[in-house]
Amino acid sequence: MPKCDVLVVGGGPAGMAAAVTASQLGLSVEMIEQRRTLGGAFFRQPIEGVRPIPQRASVKARWHKLSADMSRAPVRIHYGCVFLGVDSDGFVLFEDRQVGEVVRCAARAVIIATGAIEKVHPIPGWDRPGVSTAGGLQVMMKETGQAPKGRILLAGNGPLLIAAAAQMAMVGNPPVAIVESGDPMRPGLTGLGLLVAPYLLVEAFGFLRAVYGAGVPWLRGARIEGIEAHAQGLQATVVRRNGERSAFVVDRVGLHEGIRSNDMGLPAIADASTSSPIVIRAGDCSEPLGALAAEADGALAARKVAALLGHGQSRGGEQALLGRLRQAQAVLAKLFAPTIAPLDVPDHTTLCRCEGRTIGDLKNLVAGADLKSGREVKHNGRFSMGSCQGRFCAANTAELMTRLRPGAPPVVASDLTGQRWPLRPVSIAALVAATKVKAPVD
Amino acid sequence: MPSSVIVAGAGIVGAALAYFLSARGIRVELFDEEAPAAQASGAADGAVSVASKRPGAMMTTALAGIALYRKLARDGVFADLFKPRSTFLVAASDAECEVLEAHCAALSGAGVRVTKIDRATVAEKFRVLSPDVGMAAEVHDEGHAIGYQIVHGLLRASGIAVRRREKVQRILVSSDGTCVKGVATAKGEYTADAVIIASGLGSADLLGLSGTLIPRKGQLLVTERAPALNGRMPGAMMSCRYLLSKGSQKGRPAPARGLALVVDPLRTGQFLIGGTREDHGDRRTNDLDAVSKILADAVALIPGLVDVRLLRCFAGARTAVVDGLPIIGRVGSFGNLFVATGFEGDGICLGPVSAESVVAMVCGEKPALNLDPFTPSRFPKLRIAA
Repeated sequence: MPKCDVLVVGGGPAGMAAAVTASQLGLSVEMIEQRRTLGGAFFRQPIEGVRPIPQRASVKARWHKLSADMSRAPVRIHYGCVFLGVDSDGFVLFEDRQVGEVVRCAARAVIIATGAIEKVHPIPGWDRPGVSTAGGLQVMMKETGQAPKGRILLAGNGPLLIAAAAQMAMVGNPPVAIVESGDPMRPGLTGLGLLVAPYLLVEAFGFLRAVYGAGVPWLRGARIEGIEAHAQGLQATVVRRNGERSAFVVDRVGLHEGIRSNDMGLPAIADASTSSPIVIRAGDCSEPLGALAAEADGALAARKVAALLGHGQSRGGEQALLGRLRQAQAVLAKLFAPTIAPLDVPDHTTLCRCEGRTIGDLKNLVAGADLKSGREVKHNGRFSMGSCQGRFCAANTAELMTRLRPGAPPVVASDLTGQRWPLRPVSIAALVAATKVKAPVD
Repeated sequence: MPSSVIVAGAGIVGAALAYFLSARGIRVELFDEEAPAAQASGAADGAVSVASKRPGAMMTTALAGIALYRKLARDGVFADLFKPRSTFLVAASDAECEVLEAHCAALSGAGVRVTKIDRATVAEKFRVLSPDVGMAAEVHDEGHAIGYQIVHGLLRASGIAVRRREKVQRILVSSDGTCVKGVATAKGEYTADAVIIASGLGSADLLGLSGTLIPRKGQLLVTERAPALNGRMPGAMMSCRYLLSKGSQKGRPAPARGLALVVDPLRTGQFLIGGTREDHGDRRTNDLDAVSKILADAVALIPGLVDVRLLRCFAGARTAVVDGLPIIGRVGSFGNLFVATGFEGDGICLGPVSAESVVAMVCGEKPALNLDPFTPSRFPKLRIAA
């Protein structure tokens, strides 16, 4: 059984920074990463033999520094391992998919750095083949070095759409259009304080130049109403602020409504010096502020754990940087605030993909004066009961429940998902293969 | 007949009480510290079964319980919520075969339809089972129901709005001390013609039953959908070690942490695999040792499970009673205070039928069940807590 001071879950920027800092502070560190390479989504590495897509020099430099620091740090990395949670005996559990065994790790502290997931709002057809997240397309480009094939429409909200479109243009297949519910070019936005993070302006300018250079229409103040099957692929209907509708026939649609912490079902934070194990979260899974903030937060998490484990207090410049990045995110949120009201979503729209449950099913279940809890809605509507464990539908279900019952206590995603292991479906063979430590159950 | 009744606890017993009371036109106020099916009823194995019951009162009550499920399934309240199926008791070792033989005789004696299946027939007809199985017995006419779905169905049919997150803190006694007049919660006092306590472990504080009601933890597992394997399972498979662990056989004490293996094929194509009976441990959490051991035993019985993935683990605390029987009936000399709790692992099967009889009692009728073995008066300490 692995034993260490700190087990870091996830090898993205937050996890790598946490591992490097923790080992610099004298702690023994192990890391689990579900893929075969480090980097997370932001620094996703191309598969072997593939030329990476062009990236800005500053991003390359950060990756080189982080991976060099990591390779110097005495951190044992378990690749191909999926985090399952912390069991009631305080062991950290993960499934080693290369060996086919569930492993328990006796760690004094766990730093969870599982990153972010993209938000997707339910619209008719969001669950059709050919529809994915925009960030998913972006990561695929980083892995394969190629643009996704065919005609692509990007739709939703936020700066990631522009970044993805720019990268697609750079590798030779710009999207057909970008549908954006906000309007960052609308008048009256000066004085928002964009100068709080000058690098954002530089980055944005570069992306916009690539997008405009490729002639990609940026439809602002617009939303996608639905996606239907079409003889030549998928037909997406777009509604403008003035009510005007237009249709795009494409091969793929990339949806994106911003990011949120990938924290579904994670073990509760336990950050007292007496906690066994200490559990803290770092990076986007704690607060979704992006990769640069994730690195700072990872280092900060390591300092916190070191202090809790009696390895002394230490300070870096992380707090100040995080403060600036938090401000920058707030500015971006204002800049991209939707300028078109949400559209009516028909009852037949899928809400939970795994269990095939619709918005109408939820409405029926929560109608009336009996104010059911999130857990009751999960149990009796089967929302979040499927194999994704609520990763795709719990937040949307909670939001819709709250909206449908004005005046009732708000519902949050964790009311549906709870906190328990396994976080992901896990092979029974691997569980049977786990070594036992206690007296057998009679 | 009372015109209003307060029920404390929205588990399967409380929900069934609300259903049978509402059906008689009686106004019901149903309180729960959390929400319906938040405790044992929401973390149960769902067996509507007589197969593992001890001969005597528990066996006869279970038979009535199964009959009620069939009736409510026909009436529509439990439509699509009750899956009729057999339970197969499976014995591996000689010792288990011996226990099974004795148990089959007891079941037959109580009027249960049981078919014994020898080793050769098991090997020929039940290929899903391990070749190590020595004998099996099919207990016919049983079924499966998921606790939280039953609670939901009962509440929906009763048409009431549950008072969630509102714990009954005290029972209010009339000034002359002869009857109860209602209950108090953090939000205020409520009055009714009768009060029924069905709050599981929470009943201990209200009725001075600490030490009499004991939490007994259970851990349960649910797999992903595996329709092919599921379709080959003719019913629930229950290891005969269940009989030993549950203390169904006299003279064998239950271990502090026992495993009673049941694999139930669900309608969804998933499998429900249970479970432990533990005297210690956090009631809401699972440990790898227990999960791994349950699955190892499950795979030993049904080898095909090794290729399936585990989707969820959960745990709960059953409300056990020191003498192994539930507590159902009128409390002390109070004419209008009742209790129905302590079903341990049998609440899904016994809860609704017991509630039906308690409601008859509340209405001054003779209950259909013989509730004498479960009378609260066997615990002299039982009283309204100050």
